[in-house]
Amino acid sequence: MAYAAGVDVGSTQTKAVVIDEGRAIIGRALTDTGANVMRAAETAFQQALADGGIPEEEVEFVVGTGYGRYKVTFGNTQVTEISCHARGAVLMFPQTRTVLDMGGQDTKAIRVHPSGEIVDFCMNDKCAAGTGRFLGAAAVALDLPLTELGPTALRGERAVKISTTCTVFAESEVLSWLGKGKKIEDILLGVHESIAARSIGLLRRVGIENEVTFTGGVTKNQAMVETLNKRLGLTVNVGAESHYMGALGAALFALDRIQAGRAPAARPAATGGTA
Amino acid sequence: MTQAIQDASLVGRGNEAGARLFREWFQGLTQAAEEQRGAAYVFVMGSLCELLRVFDFPIVFPEINSLQAAVRRVAHEYLNEAENYGYSPDICGYVKADVATQLRGGQHPMGKIPKPALAVCTNACNTYIKWGEIWERMYGMPMFTLDIPGSRGAGLASPRGGDDFERDRRYVEGQLTELITLCERVSGKRFDVDRLREHMGWANAMNQGWARVLELNRSRPAVFNALSDGTIYLGVANGFRGAPEGAAFFTDLVEEMSHKAFRGIGTATTEKWRLLFVGVPCYPIFRRFSELFSDWGGVFVNSTYLWFASGGANLGFTYDLTRPLESLAEGVLLGVRDAMDSMFFQTNALAGMIDDFSADGVVYHPIKSCRTVSTGLADSRRALMAVRDVPSLFVESDMMDKRVVSEAQMKNRIDAFFEGLAARRHQAGATA
Amino acid sequence: MIPVFPEWHDQPLDEILYRSRELIEDTDFPTVRRWRDQGGKVVGHFQVYFPEEIAHAGGLLPFKVRGAPVEPTQADSRFGSYLCSIIKTSLELALSQRVQMELFVTHPICDAARNLAGVWGRNVSYPCRILYLPQNPNSAFAAAYLRDEYDRVRHLCEEIGGRPITDDDLRRSLAVFNDNRALLRRIYALRREQPWQLPADDAYVLVALGGVLPREEHNDLLRTALPLLERRAVPRQDKVRVVLEGGFCEQPPLDLLRAIARSCYVVDDDLLIGLRWLTTDVPIDRDPLGALATSYLERSAHSPVQHDLRKPKDRMLLERLEEAKAQAAILMAAKMCEPGLEELVVHTRALDQRGVRYFVSEFEENMTSFDTLEIQLETFVENLLFD
Repeated sequence: MAYAAGVDVGSTQTKAVVIDEGRAIIGRALTDTGANVMRAAETAFQQALADGGIPEEEVEFVVGTGYGRYKVTFGNTQVTEISCHARGAVLMFPQTRTVLDMGGQDTKAIRVHPSGEIVDFCMNDKCAAGTGRFLGAAAVALDLPLTELGPTALRGERAVKISTTCTVFAESEVLSWLGKGKKIEDILLGVHESIAARSIGLLRRVGIENEVTFTGGVTKNQAMVETLNKRLGLTVNVGAESHYMGALGAALFALDRIQAGRAPAARPAATGGTA
Repeated sequence: MTQAIQDASLVGRGNEAGARLFREWFQGLTQAAEEQRGAAYVFVMGSLCELLRVFDFPIVFPEINSLQAAVRRVAHEYLNEAENYGYSPDICGYVKADVATQLRGGQHPMGKIPKPALAVCTNACNTYIKWGEIWERMYGMPMFTLDIPGSRGAGLASPRGGDDFERDRRYVEGQLTELITLCERVSGKRFDVDRLREHMGWANAMNQGWARVLELNRSRPAVFNALSDGTIYLGVANGFRGAPEGAAFFTDLVEEMSHKAFRGIGTATTEKWRLLFVGVPCYPIFRRFSELFSDWGGVFVNSTYLWFASGGANLGFTYDLTRPLESLAEGVLLGVRDAMDSMFFQTNALAGMIDDFSADGVVYHPIKSCRTVSTGLADSRRALMAVRDVPSLFVESDMMDKRVVSEAQMKNRIDAFFEGLAARRHQAGATA
Repeated sequence: MIPVFPEWHDQPLDEILYRSRELIEDTDFPTVRRWRDQGGKVVGHFQVYFPEEIAHAGGLLPFKVRGAPVEPTQADSRFGSYLCSIIKTSLELALSQRVQMELFVTHPICDAARNLAGVWGRNVSYPCRILYLPQNPNSAFAAAYLRDEYDRVRHLCEEIGGRPITDDDLRRSLAVFNDNRALLRRIYALRREQPWQLPADDAYVLVALGGVLPREEHNDLLRTALPLLERRAVPRQDKVRVVLEGGFCEQPPLDLLRAIARSCYVVDDDLLIGLRWLTTDVPIDRDPLGALATSYLERSAHSPVQHDLRKPKDRMLLERLEEAKAQAAILMAAKMCEPGLEELVVHTRALDQRGVRYFVSEFEENMTSFDTLEIQLETFVENLLFD
């Protein structure tokens, strides 16, 4: 049995996934990227192998993706996370026609053909409004853990209108609303609405077609899911593996290569994380 | 002459000659600056060089000066200086680089730029007009704005010879006579219609050559890269418009490109993908930007840039030298109008380009500095995608300001685009 | 046609102002809707200036498209980044069907706006046309050219209205608009001479009504309101007299004008200057189109987006300050507005040379919080008062 792996090196977190020839996920791992990107990639890969109980030699092809994809030095090739997210989403939800990936630092909107081929894509990486970073800024301002943001927002009744488009100023706007006596729940709901609106703006640029699959780290935030559903007027797909969508897509590209008979005899040696 | 020798003597000749002409041009300008001779400041969309050369004005294209500052990696110094002077980060980078050049007394990486004795602009770009006003205030020099009535709507360019066209042409011609009066006053020289005919004759040769060269890129493989090589040829098309060197350059270029087409000689890149470029190149990382595409085997076979930034010379219009002033008005009207149409009403022209040049994809590159080119591009792209099933990429940066150019982000998008092209070709092969 | 804005009839002044404010802030443009409900047709025209008399002569309602404080949810994807808001919100009005029209005309005032005809044309079902007003008004040939352009607009309006537009129709319309401009001049005279009688935001509303009402109704309202304004008893306060420059295209929110009016008397401005572009009566001539064209060229105001060698930008602001007897200037530029931002450099230098004090700020039509701006402005005004 041959295995394929994908390593998605994001700006905040690195994810690794190992799949078998039946395209089932056998092992997965997630670690903080930190300052040493190469080490994070290596660590995530090793942890995913351990998670699946797979010896490293049995992984025949590794694809690196994410902004740090060229740092996956033990990988065989790189594919952009745009292609990988689309691929992963279509595997998980075959009726996917639009993908919204909300990461820690950037947000992507991708429209796909039924075949998984990309029709169009649009990214917001100029500024952090509309990304998970905006939530992070709100969390800091309100002194709440990130995991609390969603549940708190869900209790909101009248979303406050967040007018600032700059994450840096979001903090002061949040505090200003607190000062005016608004409830935390309503403020947070407003923050979610603001992020959802920006993301949907991106989606409109590529065209919104049902079904819409939501991927990335923010998918665990139920308030964001519900806000998106409400604003889009449909139900977005969210899978248990939404966080790993990029790595999964990368692994699928790796599997393509194995099945096309282009697997190399040996992979480049890992650096052992001593960089 | 053996084939190999002929190849060696022709292939690459245009690029070398272009670089040489550029150096000579700026050497001439440096000399003019030192001799304190005032220049004519003009712009690519309607430069009127044919007319201005009659009065022996040294010709300065501030747009070209500015882009050279970016290509030579000193744009940020110039932009900083202009911003310290008071100009917003959010206005055209070309203008700011020029303001800094003026503040430095004409110091420029390519030499010294003489001050303007007069400036001539058309209304093809509103920034031209605000730019001219800056020189008016700085130097008290006269600025001439030539109104070129463009198409009144999509598909509504009035046909030549018709009443509507004639009304517009007469207005242009009337303004040209006023421009002649101004030139006489500023230069102290009499207008000589025979010299005008001469310069228009050279412009004719250039127009015809440029149109032919563009057409030759329908060959497979393409004979020149519309992004990298094209910018050199464009520089000559502007800087030497109406000059004998410009005419000779394009005659030679046609010879070179015809030869390459005949022999199946392509560009330095092994052509895997034929692409169209819509927008203005990313000059701050010019070479690298080009490589981001050529590394994947992507060759640009045509570009709207080569249309509008040549002031419509791509039309190959031939002036009628028996009626020079009338014909000059007609040519300028057609050229500038077409330049505007290629930016604002480009759907049909681009669809035609895709078909004629067998394009595999279209790359849209809107830039922060230039609202003329960029404002309508997202919508224009949608319109094109509705009539042609050809993949396209939309990637934003700037042509001057490195602060908004992110190579990593662009590479991400460009790579994804080529991954998509490859998947598409693979799919098509699988279902063939 | 039944009046489309009868709400102010027989009301006291405060009520007239209140209803007018409501109308100007209503992003569903009810008066345009009511006009169309009666079978009326609409010619939408973008900033800055449009020869509205021609549309009016054809029985059409000229509607000034000037953005709105709305979210450009649909329009946003039609444009790229680094753009002023008015370009997007204007299209949003059309896409969201808040306003509907039979014709949309623009003039290339700036490099962003020159794309409007193309973008709108691909997204709406009615014709979108460009009017090329001369940027070489100093040419001896410009008047004939412009007259021909106006004739072209006349033909367009004839097609839309389904009836010919005669010279007599045009003369009648010129008379209506001459009256309108005279009334607007009275408003501005009042603001210069007795600024306490008419705060900036109320004045603005009264002028802005012209963009959404049939001019006859606008004239009626102004004729009623002006004597009331001139007579009302308002205590005079010791506020600084300022000129506000920068509102020629994208408009600052009404609340921002209110905030400014709290600190100063705005005795002159360029807000909605297109509605007041012609500075004198247009002669009701043998050749009305020719007269209208000549007025545009010879007897008009100034803006950053009209180039005219007789109106150098540095001198024009100083003249405005002088004529209005203003002590200082508030210079505003809409975010991302290229001509506005460029003009700031000219203005600040000219004022520095003359030693005139000024306050500079950027604005956006849909900004909702002005705390920072107001504090800065108050500080500026305090400095002036305690000089």
